[in-house]
Amino acid sequence: MKWSKRGLIFDPTKHKLANNCLEFAQSPQTLVFDDFVRIYFSARQKDFDTGKFLSHISFVDFDKTFKNVLHVSDNTVIELGGLGCFDEHGIFPINILKHENKILAYTCGWSRRVSVSVETSTGLAFSDDGGLSFKKAGAGPVLTASLHEPVLVGDSFVKVYNNSFHMWYIYGKKWIKAQGNEPPARVYKIAHAVSPDGINWYREEGKPIIADSLNENECQALPTVIKIGDRYHMYFCFREATDFRKNRDRGYRLGYAWSDDLVSWTRDDKHAGIECSETGWDSDMMCYPHIFECDGKVYLLYNGNEFGRYGFGIAELDKDFIK
Amino acid sequence: MFTWQKQGRVFNPADIKNRAWLNEFAQAPSVLIFDDVVRVYFSCRPPANENGQYVSYSAFVDLNRKNLFEIKRVSESPILNLGELGTFDEFGTYPVSVIKHADEVRAYYGGWTRCESVPFNVAIGYGVSKNGGETFEKSGDGPILSYSLDEPFILSGPKIRKFNNQWYLFYIAGKKWILDNGKPEPVYKIRMATSDDGLNWVKHNKDLIDTKVEENEAQASPDVFFHEGKYHMFFCYRYSADYRGKNNGYRIGYASSDDLINWTRDDEKAGIDISVEGWDSEMVSYPHVFELDGDVYIFYLGNQVGRFGFGLAKLISYKP
Repeated sequence: MKWSKRGLIFDPTKHKLANNCLEFAQSPQTLVFDDFVRIYFSARQKDFDTGKFLSHISFVDFDKTFKNVLHVSDNTVIELGGLGCFDEHGIFPINILKHENKILAYTCGWSRRVSVSVETSTGLAFSDDGGLSFKKAGAGPVLTASLHEPVLVGDSFVKVYNNSFHMWYIYGKKWIKAQGNEPPARVYKIAHAVSPDGINWYREEGKPIIADSLNENECQALPTVIKIGDRYHMYFCFREATDFRKNRDRGYRLGYAWSDDLVSWTRDDKHAGIECSETGWDSDMMCYPHIFECDGKVYLLYNGNEFGRYGFGIAELDKDFIK
Repeated sequence: MFTWQKQGRVFNPADIKNRAWLNEFAQAPSVLIFDDVVRVYFSCRPPANENGQYVSYSAFVDLNRKNLFEIKRVSESPILNLGELGTFDEFGTYPVSVIKHADEVRAYYGGWTRCESVPFNVAIGYGVSKNGGETFEKSGDGPILSYSLDEPFILSGPKIRKFNNQWYLFYIAGKKWILDNGKPEPVYKIRMATSDDGLNWVKHNKDLIDTKVEENEAQASPDVFFHEGKYHMFFCYRYSADYRGKNNGYRIGYASSDDLINWTRDDEKAGIDISVEGWDSEMVSYPHVFELDGDVYIFYLGNQVGRFGFGLAKLISYKP
């Protein structure tokens, strides 16, 4: 694969965001309309009770050159969960699926824990107003921790292929105990679930589908999949389990894998066709990739340094790779 | 109508020495019947930590089958380990319900984790014993039954049963957390799931038992047994707030069913209530009914939800 970078296209600090969010535009994901593209992202509000962050979903509408911002959402796109719910302390990310004239959203809900920082699960919501706002299918999740996927289910990405709903998501294998200045660290992997209706999901539990490249504690996140010709391509991000926030050598990079049958995946990072820049907004880190098609072109949205504190950028797949 | 004759307290955790993890509480009794003893599983706690927080373990006491007031043995260690860092049962395994299956014993239990905005969350875990119910091994680090669209939190109080070759799990699921003077208190209702193998569960996704004392009534310990052509459920219920004392605390309720799905609540028929004085004078809760050598018994908790142990009553008569 080969991508041409077009640079940073959205900096959240230069716009007024709903819910008093100030920074971060993480995990950009699209809903493509006839004459514009809506890009959802997670921004952060400071929780004054605890000093911690709350992630809220917002969106920006771009024209199809991705150079002009048409509109930034000024209302709440989806409410955070109620007291004690899985998504009480944030929704990050959100994945949008248009299917048979319905707009569905798969959310990753965050709730805080005591011995570790957080637990996550996947929720489901629907939009009746063209993606301006979403209502939840229930107060609980559609996919959560289970016998062999004991913690941290989330980052769901859903596509319909061959009349079946396919979900790629991550699950936590374990938490590594705190060491020195390092808080408890999670280890998560990419897995796959299928569904006849997008609501009831079936998974072969605890089966990572992407081989590790760093070591067994490699953290893999945010899978995104596209079919080009007869081949499925997956991008994701991966990092070391510890010391990944400020140490450039251990932070997120984009990984790549391909499959011809949606069952076995061949990891092939060296053919990802995109890497960190020498300088600038994506020179230390690249993460939270999202691939989408628009008017015959294939694009990749992603975050750069500091997990997307200063926004996201876009790259375009070279025409030679679109058959 | 059930008529019970109270026999008194069978087990008081304060009487047990040399087990730091069994300091107080003997909650949610459930039995496994052997040739010579009746093994009663229960949940207990070591002293609270410096922040007043508890962990909860499960254990058992073996009672002489011919005299349920004679303690033969108390388990030397908890029957289940607490979970790993960050997992659903890191801070407690309570309550537990067991069943014999082929040459193993299976345990279904509530696993407790601590949360920031509310004090805890619970999901249902699973363990297997290959040594006759002495200890149980988990087959994974996660829960076997957990949260879903309509059951957003607190899946707890499992009671495992097998009727007509079908596995049934009666349990509770949280409806909401309410704030009582700023303190979060959970509201939960009785639910059910079915399974062909006891491992893969299909939720029924409905409240089984009507709510009586108030909309936010909390219901727990759905204990189901078959007797004289009918299914009977004893359970306990309480008010949503200020329920740690006599007035709003737990009482034992009753419902019956012909099909395990449609239940008719009629607490008048339960036939067991608080005593005028003594260890069960403020509340009665967590009933467990079992048959032994031609008689029917009920174990239940008394004041402070089993802080001071559990007692026994014997069925004197039953009229439908």
